[in-house]
Amino acid sequence: MSHARALQSLMRAVKPLSASMSISEVADLFLAAEHRAFLSLPVVDEHNRPLGLVSRATLQDIFMQRFGRDLRGRHPVGEVMNVAPLIVSLEASLEEASKQVTAQLQYPITEDFILINAQGDYCGLGTVLDLLKAMEARVAQRNRVLHQALVDLKESQAQLLQSEKMASLGQMVAGVAHELNTPLGYVKNNVQLLRELSEPLFELAAAQARLGQCLNDPGCDEASLSQALQAAEQARQQAAPELLAEDLQQLYGDTLYGLEQIAELVIGLKDFARLDRAMSEEVDLNDCIRSALLIARNHIKDKAEVVQQLGELPRIACAPSQINQVLLNLLTNAAQAIDGMGRIQIRSWADTQGIYISLQDNGRGMPPEVMAKIFDPFFTTKPVGQGTGLGLSISYKIVQDHGGQIRVASEPGRGTRFLVSLPSPANVAMKRSA
Amino acid sequence: MSAPVRIMFVDDEERILRSLALQFRRHYEVLTESDPLRALQRLREERVDVLVSDQRMPQMSGAQLLAEARAIAPNTLRILLTGYSDLDAAVEALNNGGIFRYLTKPWDQQEMAFTLRQAAELAVRQAQPLQVVASEKLSAPLTLLSLDDEPDTLGVVGEFCVAGGHNLLRARNLAEAMLMLNNESVDLLVSDLKLAGEDTAPLLKTLAQAHPRLLSLVVTPFQDTQALLRLVNEAQIFRYLPKPVRRGLFEKGLKAAAEQALIWRAQPQQVVSRLADVPRDEREQERVGSLMGMLGRLRERLIA
Repeated sequence: MSHARALQSLMRAVKPLSASMSISEVADLFLAAEHRAFLSLPVVDEHNRPLGLVSRATLQDIFMQRFGRDLRGRHPVGEVMNVAPLIVSLEASLEEASKQVTAQLQYPITEDFILINAQGDYCGLGTVLDLLKAMEARVAQRNRVLHQALVDLKESQAQLLQSEKMASLGQMVAGVAHELNTPLGYVKNNVQLLRELSEPLFELAAAQARLGQCLNDPGCDEASLSQALQAAEQARQQAAPELLAEDLQQLYGDTLYGLEQIAELVIGLKDFARLDRAMSEEVDLNDCIRSALLIARNHIKDKAEVVQQLGELPRIACAPSQINQVLLNLLTNAAQAIDGMGRIQIRSWADTQGIYISLQDNGRGMPPEVMAKIFDPFFTTKPVGQGTGLGLSISYKIVQDHGGQIRVASEPGRGTRFLVSLPSPANVAMKRSA
Repeated sequence: MSAPVRIMFVDDEERILRSLALQFRRHYEVLTESDPLRALQRLREERVDVLVSDQRMPQMSGAQLLAEARAIAPNTLRILLTGYSDLDAAVEALNNGGIFRYLTKPWDQQEMAFTLRQAAELAVRQAQPLQVVASEKLSAPLTLLSLDDEPDTLGVVGEFCVAGGHNLLRARNLAEAMLMLNNESVDLLVSDLKLAGEDTAPLLKTLAQAHPRLLSLVVTPFQDTQALLRLVNEAQIFRYLPKPVRRGLFEKGLKAAAEQALIWRAQPQQVVSRLADVPRDEREQERVGSLMGMLGRLRERLIA
């Protein structure tokens, strides 16, 4: 419907000519004000069927010849009309019409096109210029819609990135919170035990103080002295400091160790997040590996033994929180790919070209058709709700943004190896100067 | 004085073991193991009354350890002590490990001491082996009460009752449930956590105290580790099954519950079957108190 209306709005009502009208009459009609906009005028038969178009250019050619008007002015216009004009149905859409018109158009443009209804009756004229303007308007509108779609798409992509980041952050925080519970458990218990165990010591000190007082007091009689002596001895037996010493030593040692563990986790969390720091920082990627391992420990410890072979690496400029995110993602994926107890091997090394981190697991591995898709956004092999399918595609993007690349090799039943390579600082400097 | 109660702690963190050993060595004979496989080995060779295990350990999970321990030494009371709130692990520990309590790290010293005292008492009282029940006696008719309107659940329960010749009661709301509990002798309870908009947890907790031999199977769409933890500790539920129900799992749970109910039926009255904690939440405590009053007839019947 709207298509038909689109051509209708382009249609101009022009009174058609008959083929028997003389060329002179038609030439006069071309001069009339209402026909000024047209390159041509339509000719129809007695049934209002279009016969052809008489173009302004044709008449001008005739009149420009010497005695042209005198020789041919009285001839019927049917002799000089184009009998194969452009005829467009009003039922056609704007796109169809423009396709038809541009396909048949000749240069220079000397004619308009005839618009007919479904029955083939003449209805009016359309000009190429109007058609072009309408098309342009339509394209502009499409562009606006496309642009809006692009804006929406970018926004939702940003939201997805953010939600993936929050998901991995949430997972990480929950993991670390749980990890804290173990040292907190024994530290809290130990402190309570220390309080209980040290109570008899205070009683011993009090009993011995009373005994000392008695000894210093000349007025203290034998009976009270022996009573004080006995009380002190009893308190000493009760407290058993020689036995207690070992327990206390152990308790203090464990408690301090636990507090260090807690501190390490908290610092690890802070290092890991590093949300406040910029891209430019010079970082030892081995620190990132250690930090990601610390955070992922609770995911991994009942899944795999981690073997580290970390080589010496030059410091590079990168966004450590992003690199950490990549490493954590690769580590948790590796742990999830392992059934039962497995092994994850992490190696890092550097050469003149770049810095390399390899992460290898002996888990399930992937068939080639899965491997081909792992970096695609939303591709996941995990059950619904357990993976956003964005982890690896985001990792890929992060590494790419750092000028590096992630490669993968996998064999079903044997395991998977990811290789992250980043350009070495020397290499980057050379490229910059080049 | 009988032999001291033997409690074994299993945790991959030695410091946890040292701390617990130091806390309890004066009251119990404390055994510690950092390797779950060695713990299982000792369980085969020695008497252990109470087994307390961590959840996340390199060799095997605590839930797995407790499930295997149950097969080796069914009379040993099993407790999970974990720093992770992980619903799957909790469900596994309950359904396969038949845990007595689910405790969290860091633990409260008093609470832990209280729980172990309860467990030790129960262990002492259960020290004499249970009456062996002849297998033909394990198929007597029972009475089930369903507090769940869902057709899926009812379908499975209905078929189970028809097949086993059990009597099935259905309550559409808590008031009806109370009436039935007072008037009929119910052996098994199949309940969602919501019935006609009402929370059924307080009733489950009341029944754990009023009717220790009643076995409750909770079938629910809720996925809340904390709620499950309280149901374990305060209602001593027998199974926790997620909705939508998985037929095989549900049938297995019903079968195990029926068997357990018959085993308990054969035991003398003084053999304690379950011992639940008082609800932590004060409002729930009040609710349990008032429900307890409303279940007077049930309690009278049980004492008689």
